[in-house]
Amino acid sequence: MSVDLSGMFQRRQGRDIVHRWEGNPYITIHDLDFQVSDIHNANAIEFQGQLFLLVTIESLSGVRCIHLARPQHDGVFRVDTQPFLQPSTDPPFAEHESRGVMDVRATCLDGVYYLMYVALGRHGYRLGIAQTASFESVTKIGMVSEPDTKAGALFPKKIGDRFVRLERPSSGSSIWVSYSRDLIHWGDTELVMMPRGGFWDSNRIGVGPVPMETERGWLLIYYGVKDTSAGSIYRIGAAVLDRDDPTKVVGRTGVPILSPRETYERLGDLQNVVFCTGAYLDDRDKLHLFYGASDSCICIGRTTLDEIFDELI
Amino acid sequence: MHRWEGNPALTVDDLPFRANTVFNGTPIETEDGVYLLLRIEGQHGYSFFALARSGNGYHFKIDEKPVMLPDREGPFAIHETKGIEDPRVTILEDTCYVMYTAVGDCGPRIVVAKTDDYVNYERIAVVSEPGNKDGLLFPRKINGRYARFDRPIGQGVGSIWVSYSPDLIHWGDSQAILTPRPGYWDDFRVGASVTPIETPEGWLEIYHGVAMTSAGPIYRAGVALLDLDDPSKVIKRGDSPILAPREPYERIGDVPNVCFACGAVISDPDEVKIYYGAADTSICVATCTMGQLCNEAFD
Repeated sequence: MSVDLSGMFQRRQGRDIVHRWEGNPYITIHDLDFQVSDIHNANAIEFQGQLFLLVTIESLSGVRCIHLARPQHDGVFRVDTQPFLQPSTDPPFAEHESRGVMDVRATCLDGVYYLMYVALGRHGYRLGIAQTASFESVTKIGMVSEPDTKAGALFPKKIGDRFVRLERPSSGSSIWVSYSRDLIHWGDTELVMMPRGGFWDSNRIGVGPVPMETERGWLLIYYGVKDTSAGSIYRIGAAVLDRDDPTKVVGRTGVPILSPRETYERLGDLQNVVFCTGAYLDDRDKLHLFYGASDSCICIGRTTLDEIFDELI
Repeated sequence: MHRWEGNPALTVDDLPFRANTVFNGTPIETEDGVYLLLRIEGQHGYSFFALARSGNGYHFKIDEKPVMLPDREGPFAIHETKGIEDPRVTILEDTCYVMYTAVGDCGPRIVVAKTDDYVNYERIAVVSEPGNKDGLLFPRKINGRYARFDRPIGQGVGSIWVSYSPDLIHWGDSQAILTPRPGYWDDFRVGASVTPIETPEGWLEIYHGVAMTSAGPIYRAGVALLDLDDPSKVIKRGDSPILAPREPYERIGDVPNVCFACGAVISDPDEVKIYYGAADTSICVATCTMGQLCNEAFD
């Protein structure tokens, strides 16, 4: 007697606020011209009217680098074979990046593109900043946090005369804001949001893409983790922060806007992970998200600002 | 190190108010003698600060009222919900600064404050991410910037870092300078303990190192010498500790087997007084000469 398993893997949309693209996954390791172990997530940044993707890729040996992906004439993204941002061999970066650079968020400020990335070395996870003018070459500026800090994103505007970033130090598993006059020395670090016991984001939270300006304030798409006996479930939510004081949370969705439901989100090198580090708002207030699924492929989703605002509590 | 015959110098019985323990007191040299800014753990469980005064550096009298309690209102309050700990005094450009650990719901953070009279303290700013402590301000700027030791934890390992600031508020250019050494007495964790002492050969730092045993941690004190212009360059580091728990008052207490150096008074180079917390329960004094601290301590 044979068992028909086809019903187990039918599409389950789950009525999430974010609508998945019918053709997901968008980029898998099979879409690349070169062999890799995994493709984790993609940040999206507009450059001269085009959308570029900065993709975190894990090499066969296990080291993570950032590769640039540009849209071709047919609109499909082609991932560069050579890394755009990779671990340095020179001090002072070498010992802090030896195990990889990953999870970059690109911000354009006064015409300069800053890339805030996560570096892993023997002392732990630290944030680094690099800059590029036209995505032909990239220059590292410095290591800008102590360990263990991840999920760093630079705001696209200064507040007052200071650069502003969101970050996630591991102690407390929460989202914090920090300020700097020169991108090197950071301070006035304050708490923005903590995990919420009893909610979908009860154990850890962290910034997703760079915050986007809306009429209600900064739209923060963030990830929230709930630990289960079988591991962690990563989901995506949204919050709105006051335009002048990001520590003031104007609203935060009580429910996730996207949860792992499809097979490609539930299965992979990780399980039950949707992780967004790239997004943009178009001129009709539609939000486009690029999210990693189980650290194994990049997917696309879409929703509207109104649908998100409706869920803020 | 030579332990004072009268150790422990201060215990909870010496306090004019009820408390659980007194440990970790940072010395301040004043015209009237040596003062100690004490960490007191209250019986409720959280810590605050009190002031002890002495003429000779050995016999102390504690002020009637604590001098600093965790803030319960204002911008620092959420960072001090679980107490304020481990104050360390640095005199820099004629100002008395105190770097201490504030404990809140997201873990410890370093705060810098200052005082004119050792009784009233003004908080300046919280100056670290959560998860960082053992902050020690250098007694002078290095190449135009304030400098400090601090101790973040990276992937479970606690090392001593140096960080710099143009204004005491924004800090950066952090580098790991002293890490735990596998197989040594400081195998598990290290942290800065005493305000660095400037010598012609370099910055002398008395730090704490922790070894983990099946019965728990052992805290000892050791020494390192760092380049004056670039403290990330370690000139030498002692293979052995200079102070380790041996006496009953160092082995028995709320946290057994702890010798935790808090400060050094070096005005008399033939009798350098090192104040240390013992078993997280009392404050003790040990002495040596400056020559021993700079030379034999490294053998």
